[in-house]
Amino acid sequence: MALLEVKDVAFRYDSLDLFYNVNFHINPGEILCLIGPNGCGKTTLLDCLLGTVKPQTGTISLRGKDIKALRPSDIAKHIAYVPQDHEKSFPYSVLDIVLMGRAPYTGMFSSPSLEDRHIAEAALDLLGLKKLKERPYTLLSGGEGQLVMLARALAQKTPIIVMDEPTAHLDFKHELLIMETIVQLVRETGLAIIMATHFPNHAFYFENNHITTSVALMNQKTLTAVGSPTEILSVENIKSVYNINAKIISCATGENDLKQIIPINTLV
Amino acid sequence: MKRKIINVALIICPLSIVFLSLFIGRYPISMVSIISMLWSKLTYTPNNLPELYQTVVWEIRMPRAILGALVGGVLAMSGAAFQGLFRNPLVSSGILGVSSGAGFGAALAILLFNTQATIYLFAFGFALLAVLISYLIGKVYNTAPTIMLVLGGTIVSSAFAALISFIKYVADPADKLPAIVFWLMGSLASASLQELWIAGMPMLIGMVGIWALRWRINVLSMGDREARSLGINTTLNKGLIVIFATLATAGAVAVSGTIGWVGLIIPHIGRMIVGNDNKLLIPASFSLGASFLILIDLTGRMLTGSEIPLSILTALIGAPFFVYLLKITKGKGW
Repeated sequence: MALLEVKDVAFRYDSLDLFYNVNFHINPGEILCLIGPNGCGKTTLLDCLLGTVKPQTGTISLRGKDIKALRPSDIAKHIAYVPQDHEKSFPYSVLDIVLMGRAPYTGMFSSPSLEDRHIAEAALDLLGLKKLKERPYTLLSGGEGQLVMLARALAQKTPIIVMDEPTAHLDFKHELLIMETIVQLVRETGLAIIMATHFPNHAFYFENNHITTSVALMNQKTLTAVGSPTEILSVENIKSVYNINAKIISCATGENDLKQIIPINTLV
Repeated sequence: MKRKIINVALIICPLSIVFLSLFIGRYPISMVSIISMLWSKLTYTPNNLPELYQTVVWEIRMPRAILGALVGGVLAMSGAAFQGLFRNPLVSSGILGVSSGAGFGAALAILLFNTQATIYLFAFGFALLAVLISYLIGKVYNTAPTIMLVLGGTIVSSAFAALISFIKYVADPADKLPAIVFWLMGSLASASLQELWIAGMPMLIGMVGIWALRWRINVLSMGDREARSLGINTTLNKGLIVIFATLATAGAVAVSGTIGWVGLIIPHIGRMIVGNDNKLLIPASFSLGASFLILIDLTGRMLTGSEIPLSILTALIGAPFFVYLLKITKGKGW
């Protein structure tokens, strides 16, 4: 039984199909990269997984249980979420933010316990953010802010983390830092990660690091291909999805063969 | 350690101001008599002070101080809750139209019946009605997202403000108009033990509700998507907070008239002292709001021959004080 299984899922806005026939599954220790052009419905598909919107047809099941039958707090004990753009409201301390990851375990009329606080601190520690814990999170840089969101997801203690373009707006180094952190977490804790991204090279990065990675290519209202990065991210597929010429190169750095995809030019 | 001192201070502050207010008032009673009265209350021994003294202290000064504490406290607390819920620091307890609804109800009751009981009932009823209409307007956009709710509140507030103007326009300028204007500026002058019991109920219920849900406000202030992904039933939780804050605010304005400023600024003063975590901010707002309003009320009673309406003083004293606080804390935690 897969950790998460998506079967024949379709979503409509006012009888207009956004996507249909979506099928994939993921197991512990795996990464799934959801790749597709702007506006193809990646974020809505992630919302379906999180249970924040409901697909009209199909089933999404967590360890065999349909999420329709689960309460929001039960889903949140299985799937955590790292947003693309977190809109900051009040200058909460970093620790306050991470503590919110304990919400699914906290009763409606209560507050996080001392144990929750320890869990939140451990999550910060794991990502090397301990010294930031009293800092107002509104003062953090983009990269630090994204790591705090990841810490909040870790404090949620879920087997799956869903990420929506977690490296958007980050500089070169912080993008790599987030990628390295993801690889380390998946390798050491057996997390499963579902990640929407605009960069096919992210999928190659995980594959290059020997993580079981699959790519789900979203185009023309459905998943046109699901499989390993090498298999799916071919020059032909990139051409049909993005209408661009690309080239796949591979260079040896000693230990691994590093695969990368390079865009060449757009096609008319 | 520092946090502990602040917590203790926040508990002691309103209590000691209520205590202090027993000693202050227009009717001259010596400090010694008041202390001996307190002593006889505590020890259940009779004293030989005039009956009038007892009435002034226990049936006028004390209810008024406690009512002031409750009103100030719940206004600040609801303001803090709404600011978190609507993710907007410029929102106040009146955002969904409670105050203008209550104002219209009171004005209508003064125009038609002019009895204390009807004023209270109408103000409370129309306050609830105003929020209900705001909510229904927000609901037009199927799932009642926050921005629509605020828009609904703005629409309802201005509609009721127009209705208030209309009533003022038709009211008898000799006696009814001044009564309406005075009510709209806020006062605790009508405070009595009986009033405290009636108005205290909705305020207490609202207060306990917000207090119980205060940590949830943190999570809700992350926005709907994130709050839901954190396992929170946002519709239910937001609905409950709106209901509790509305009950509390409606109870407060119905008995005290519209009091501006407290529900907007006190939460920010709270943020400067305890930070943004609503777990601490909600009780701190209550404590500060309570202390602030009793002090304002004492000032209003003692400053001139006749009582100065609360709204005038909350703004006149509150505004410079807030600027001063901004200056010393350099806006930290805001």
